[in-house]
Amino acid sequence: MRFLARRLGFLLIALWAAMTVNFLIPRLMPGNPAEAMMGRLRGHINPASLKALEVAFGINTHQSLISSYFAYLNNCVHLNFGISLLDFPEPVSHVIAQALPWSLGLVGVSTILGFLIGTMLGAVAAWRRGGALDSVLPPVFIVISAFPYFFLGLLFIWFFGLTLGWFPILGGYTETATPSLTLGFIWNIIDHSILPAFTILITSIGGWILTMRNNMITVVAEDYVKMGRAKGLKPRRILWQYAGRNALLPNLTGFAMSLGFVISGAILVEYVFNYPGLGFLLLQAVENEDFPLMQALFLLITVAVLVAIFIADIATSLLDPRTRTTS
Amino acid sequence: MRALRVLLHVPGRVFRFMRRDKKAATGAIILFVLLVLTAFPTWFTPHDPAAEIYTPGAAVSWSHLLGTTSFGQDVFSQVIAGTRQSVMIALIVGFFCTVISVIVGISAAYMGGIVDDGLSLLTDVVLVIPTFPLIIVIVGYLKSAGFWLMVFVLVFTGWSYGARQLRVQALSLRNRDYLLAAKARGESSWYVITVELIPPMTSLIVANFLGAALYAVLASAGLQFVGLGNLNAESWGTMLYWAQNNEALQTGLPLWALAPGVAIAILGSGLALLNYAFDEVANPALRPVRAMKKRRVA
Amino acid sequence: MRRKSRVGLLASTLALVASTCVMGMPAIAGASGQTPLNLDNEQGELWPCAFTPFNGFDAMFSVGTIYETLDFVNALQNSKVTPWLATAYAWSNNNKTLTFTIRSGVKWTDGTPFSAADVAYTFNLLKKYPALDLNAVWSVLSSVKQSGSNKVVFDFSKSAVPYFYYVADQVPIVPEHIWSKIKNPVTDPIAKPVGTGGYELASCTPQNIKWTANPNYWQKGLPVVKTLNMPAFLSNNTANEYLAQGSSAYGAQFIPNIKSYFVAKKAGNGYWFPPVANVSLFPNLKSGPTADVAVREAISYGLNRAAISKIGEYGYEPPASQTGVVAPTFKAWSSSSATALAGKGYDPAKAISVLKADGYKMGSDGFFSKNGKELSLTVITNGGYSDWVADMQVVSQQLAKVGIKVTVDGAAASNFTTDVLNGQFQLAYDVETGGPSPFYEMRQWLYSKNSAAIGSPAPSNWERFSSPAVDALLNQYGSTTSSATQHSIIDKLQTIMVQQLPVIPVLEEVDWFQYNSDEYSGFPSATNPYAQPGLYNVPDWGVVVLHLKPKK
Repeated sequence: MRFLARRLGFLLIALWAAMTVNFLIPRLMPGNPAEAMMGRLRGHINPASLKALEVAFGINTHQSLISSYFAYLNNCVHLNFGISLLDFPEPVSHVIAQALPWSLGLVGVSTILGFLIGTMLGAVAAWRRGGALDSVLPPVFIVISAFPYFFLGLLFIWFFGLTLGWFPILGGYTETATPSLTLGFIWNIIDHSILPAFTILITSIGGWILTMRNNMITVVAEDYVKMGRAKGLKPRRILWQYAGRNALLPNLTGFAMSLGFVISGAILVEYVFNYPGLGFLLLQAVENEDFPLMQALFLLITVAVLVAIFIADIATSLLDPRTRTTS
Repeated sequence: MRALRVLLHVPGRVFRFMRRDKKAATGAIILFVLLVLTAFPTWFTPHDPAAEIYTPGAAVSWSHLLGTTSFGQDVFSQVIAGTRQSVMIALIVGFFCTVISVIVGISAAYMGGIVDDGLSLLTDVVLVIPTFPLIIVIVGYLKSAGFWLMVFVLVFTGWSYGARQLRVQALSLRNRDYLLAAKARGESSWYVITVELIPPMTSLIVANFLGAALYAVLASAGLQFVGLGNLNAESWGTMLYWAQNNEALQTGLPLWALAPGVAIAILGSGLALLNYAFDEVANPALRPVRAMKKRRVA
Repeated sequence: MRRKSRVGLLASTLALVASTCVMGMPAIAGASGQTPLNLDNEQGELWPCAFTPFNGFDAMFSVGTIYETLDFVNALQNSKVTPWLATAYAWSNNNKTLTFTIRSGVKWTDGTPFSAADVAYTFNLLKKYPALDLNAVWSVLSSVKQSGSNKVVFDFSKSAVPYFYYVADQVPIVPEHIWSKIKNPVTDPIAKPVGTGGYELASCTPQNIKWTANPNYWQKGLPVVKTLNMPAFLSNNTANEYLAQGSSAYGAQFIPNIKSYFVAKKAGNGYWFPPVANVSLFPNLKSGPTADVAVREAISYGLNRAAISKIGEYGYEPPASQTGVVAPTFKAWSSSSATALAGKGYDPAKAISVLKADGYKMGSDGFFSKNGKELSLTVITNGGYSDWVADMQVVSQQLAKVGIKVTVDGAAASNFTTDVLNGQFQLAYDVETGGPSPFYEMRQWLYSKNSAAIGSPAPSNWERFSSPAVDALLNQYGSTTSSATQHSIIDKLQTIMVQQLPVIPVLEEVDWFQYNSDEYSGFPSATNPYAQPGLYNVPDWGVVVLHLKPKK
């Protein structure tokens, strides 16, 4: 119980910190760039919405910092983020809702696949120390994981998209195709997602291989694994049920964190492929000076990461009682 | 005296370590070459990288090893000239991140109690706030990040991972005999920390420096690529921005976009390989098994 | 981040009007079995589905296609007037009264007959709601009244001949029986527009707008193309890829390296970029080194405009002339004496000698200075338009060769606009809207009443030029319909442009236009420039689609 309270407390503090940072950034900027944006809106949206934006960006100077801070927190809690300029005059939440499924689909699926494949390869590599996998995989993936995501994306576009012409290179689906639940349209979406998904998979897999291998090496040296071997248990059973399970535990938090990051989309991958997810939306918001959308997206991403970490902490503590006392 | 001995010890140890570890050696060679390019870019650029005076979109030739941009600039010279900014970002951000994480991590571990609680909370909060979106938001308001703003933002967001790791290792060392002995001798905290606590942590600190440098290279290139850097800068990320904006891939000039990407990947690989090697030093169990056997023989 | 159309630029300064979207309206199209024409026009945002024709941004979705104007004035054919909803017009009363004869037999798409009353209503609506009066026609109008059954009389407070373009070509006519019921035409969304045009709105989502042919259109047999789609693109890359794949036969895009990227991809692909205005360096005339005419002259001589065009713009935007007259579009207006005075344009030796004569001394670092101050200037440009930033990087390299140090500052779009309007710059690289003859751009540049003090926003004349003689010339142009007088005035203005260099034109702004002539015939071209082709030029692109015929 005490553990739970501690983690919950941390969640709230981190959340509060993120919200405060979000509140302070526009106020610390020289010349307050949001002012120009407000000029565009004045007289065209209703006074209540205008007021919410003034509070969010610190335009209205007659309000004290403290009172506008609390008004801002209140708006955040009520998910009132104002109006988007990119899709004027839709509320920001509506714009985000449109992009969310794309990021969840593309980045979510490839993150999970990357985790599963990477973890398995890492476990096998550690189990067969000095084997082919163990000597080849780590250096190869150290190098690949140092590649910028977007570079790999550009490379795939150039090679698989333009040189070989196998895949479409931009967008989430063909622009004039009517979205519908037909096989043709679903295939259209999958076809468009293959290159970006592959990019994310390749660059994320290396990290999982390395961490799983390292955890596994430590675990394999432990007594209960040696004991299992001595008792003549089948190696496969020891690998997955004894060692694998325990080596996986420390990785859960990392996995949760990357699941949380799914919300942010793989920003640069989505940018390179013009994929209509949240990451692309964030950059579009920056380019078009859509500050309300930018603020809301940053908060959403932060909340997702924090909640994912919280859940992972809880899950780890349920699976591994040791962590409850040590933390 | 002990400090001096430790210091004198370092070059020899590093050299032997490099000779033993192929990953480390590769990484070190890459970094060395790039450092030379950083120090003397003009020795290696056949043309003025900014001059827009050659045939636009020219193919690969002896005078233009990687062709030209659609503005008529020499791609090869631009790649060489761009080395300096990426390497500088890596070194400067790596340095400041390391300094902050050493200060925060070690003081948290050494002092313990409420200081530790406070610093650990700060570290954890900064650690979980999504870095790249935060950088984008900050730079988004400013619209364009020059060199020092970029450094500031990257340091501000990049120190926490190292601080956490260093704290954990310092905690494990805190109650070692030789540390307790030094304290019992009545040495000052300053002495204990700099002479007794930090030297055994060197490889982890170096690994953290390399990690932060890698992060700085990738994040700054990403920011410049999406147009949030200084558009006049001579850097790989800015090159990628112009290539992408002129659709280099689609218009038959793939080298314009791919060459700076490869350059970033090379620098990144160099840092990552060295980083991994230093991680192995910090945690010997991770080393390739064959290397371990050899050492036993020797 | 590529440059969008001028409309995008306008939209950033003009107000946005509130609206809501109509989602999933049933599609009526496709009944004819004809393949729809997909239009490729990236604006960097999703469609607002607002069809107020009196909004600087939304106008492109309805003016020309759904709503029509009294006449069509073609900027590319020396202001040639084609009768549209009006069959005739006449100036009288010393060019202070303009009378239109309104076409009979035209119906709104809801079946109600169109009449002169709708025309009078529309203009009086603009008077009542100045926010709708985008071209400020009421700054010179004093009254608009219906006269008899088919005439509308416009009274002007002074002779305002050039305003014919704004009144006849730029104000779309809306139906009184519908608009009189709209509570607040400035903010209330127009989701189902009713017009007289060749097309009706079939459906609108944030991702796509679909139009279908008006079966009862007053031009019998038109339009031939029955369905139009305009997908929304957030980035130029996707929109260009869409064209390159052959998904669209009519585009309005900036495409890098267009010959290999687009033209070579498919038989029939072509492009034409007619110039209409100037992208210019606006020097600050009130303060700093640029207040000195010698510095401005040196800048103009130091610019190799042909190289800027080739390097910064792939040659799409032709080099401009210091006379300010856009060629070939307005070639007939070009003054031979002013052109001779301007000399060969690029002349670095002359640039250096002009500065030396003005007391500047070349330093050891290769840059000029005077009284110990280096000749160092900062040019601001829209950082969101990467081609403009590229242009300025070329300019910076070129001017360094004549001893002028130029730093490029690609500011955020909103900061840039504010700085330009307020005159807070040393040099600014920007474009005016222009019009169907050189007069319009000259007036925007030079008319002192368009300007303002440094620090307060000026609608145009950003460099803060002020000359009573020039004001008198511009006023005189407004009061004459004589072509000879108009030409002599424009001649004099060109001489002033060359001698005083209040603005330094660098390149000619063009309309972006790609087509596939194997799929459709009837596109405008250099030999038949019957309308401006950009999908953001209104009402022009509505005229273009009426000319198109599918070939298959």
